[in-house]
Amino acid sequence: MEAGTLLRLVVPLSPTRRRFVSRQRSVRASLSPRGGYEGPRPKREWVADWVSKNDDFVRSLPIYAGGASLLAVLLNRTVSGIAPVADASSSQSRADLLTLGLAVTNILNGLVWLSIRPKSISVVNPNGVECQRIYHNLPDSVTSELLWAWESLSDVTCCRSLVVIYDGICILQIGFANISDSNGGEPMVVDADKLMKGSLYNGVQKSGSQSYLANLALYPGKSELPFLPSNTQAVILQPLGDKGIAIVGGDTIRGFTSSDQAWITLIGEKLDATLAKVVYRTPLTVQE
Amino acid sequence: MSIVTAALSLNPLTSGAKFNFPSKFTINKPLSLPKICCSQNTTREQQQLNLSVLRFTLGIPGLDESYLPRYIGYAFGTFLVLNHFVGSDSSSITPAQLRTEVLGLSLAAFSAVVPYLGKFLKGASPRDQKSIPEGAEQIFAMSQDIADNMKEDLAWGTYVLLRNTNSISVLISVQDALCVRGYWNTPKDLSKENIPDWFREQIKKIGFSNLKDTMYFQQAADSELKEMVPEGTRSLLVQPILRAPRLSPSQTEKSEGFLLLASSIDYAYTDKDKAWIAAIANKFSG
Repeated sequence: MEAGTLLRLVVPLSPTRRRFVSRQRSVRASLSPRGGYEGPRPKREWVADWVSKNDDFVRSLPIYAGGASLLAVLLNRTVSGIAPVADASSSQSRADLLTLGLAVTNILNGLVWLSIRPKSISVVNPNGVECQRIYHNLPDSVTSELLWAWESLSDVTCCRSLVVIYDGICILQIGFANISDSNGGEPMVVDADKLMKGSLYNGVQKSGSQSYLANLALYPGKSELPFLPSNTQAVILQPLGDKGIAIVGGDTIRGFTSSDQAWITLIGEKLDATLAKVVYRTPLTVQE
Repeated sequence: MSIVTAALSLNPLTSGAKFNFPSKFTINKPLSLPKICCSQNTTREQQQLNLSVLRFTLGIPGLDESYLPRYIGYAFGTFLVLNHFVGSDSSSITPAQLRTEVLGLSLAAFSAVVPYLGKFLKGASPRDQKSIPEGAEQIFAMSQDIADNMKEDLAWGTYVLLRNTNSISVLISVQDALCVRGYWNTPKDLSKENIPDWFREQIKKIGFSNLKDTMYFQQAADSELKEMVPEGTRSLLVQPILRAPRLSPSQTEKSEGFLLLASSIDYAYTDKDKAWIAAIANKFSG
């Protein structure tokens, strides 16, 4: 045996389904008889749907089938009065051996399936308040793009907070935010300058690529992100070109899959190009 | 204070190509599956999707071990039948042997079906790499008479869809704008300006503009669509772009266009892929 690599998807089950379902529901509008779609339609995939729904049962099915056959073969031998000796001399024994081989194959396959079952991790609801703060001097198209990015992330991934900082200004703070003590129950304001001087931002800028903190509680750099809810589980730091950073906070440990990471990288590039075109009229100011 | 982070590097092939509207766009290598590979110096907290698991492998390149039960099922089933006819005289076969053989054959049939079921379990990755259709050329065409930022959005949208999903071709049609990218089955002598019109005709024939639900053809596509999509297309996803509904619930959502993605492998789009594709479609609905 040699060690191979296997893709293991850690998929939080129910929350993402909730999000997907809500999106699908909004798409299924009532068909108007005039403008209905008349073209080809796909056929129902019965097997695929059934297997996806009964995942656990199907995973252990080969083990039961193999185990039951094993017992059946032995039973057959004893009932028929043949000694349970594994020799290949008679055709009965040969047939038994072949069946045993198949049973063992099935058992092993079932074990492999069980070992690659993705773990389901529970969602931790962020404690904080919802907020939506967008920088005031932005053209409409930029604002709608930022809101689109937030809607996509919150619908598809486990993202619950999003902060975009560009050119030293906090462009967007949306989703859940930590409550600020000094302001009495208001969401905490993002101190962009302090963040940009910190090691998280500089590390990400230096490497130029995305950084994924899969379990935020274990990172000492967590103190640099006080505006996120204190029980944020996972964070993705996405640099936006040279001048900005997008901070995506999620509610599940290791909740962002590699596919999510790839999409976030590309959305980051798009936001960078969009924001770079905006001309800032106000100079950089130091935030207290 | 050291921060332990996981550095993820982009695929070096496509990191150089920005989504900004390039005048000449070439892909000279097959697009790869998603896409960000983790660097080697990872910590245990790193979201490590590629876990090393002890897994049985024969070490033969090109042989997919998950199909092994199927091969074993065929082989042992054949041996059982041989044993029945050749290994003993027909007269001296006992009922016990018959029982064993029936059990063995049904188990062989089950083993042959097992890899097919395994494909739909959670955590199963698509095994086949997407293949580039032969003889098809790559095109990238867009309607000319649209606003610049719409052009940029379309270029970016098609780039992102090709890169992050298992697609070999993508088509976006929103109101008057049309953009195609990837491998398509266009007639050979079509000039670049006429490409959008040709696609518009095809679309009108099929009637995609009236679509309101997402359609996902998971296996070989229908013949009606075969004229447009490249050869070797196995799964197809059509995502309508709906205008965001206004406050009055009586107003039904109107379709503003659609997104069409074609792939050369079966069951190419997972639920997550479909969710992201819906998110990209929303970008054009505003």
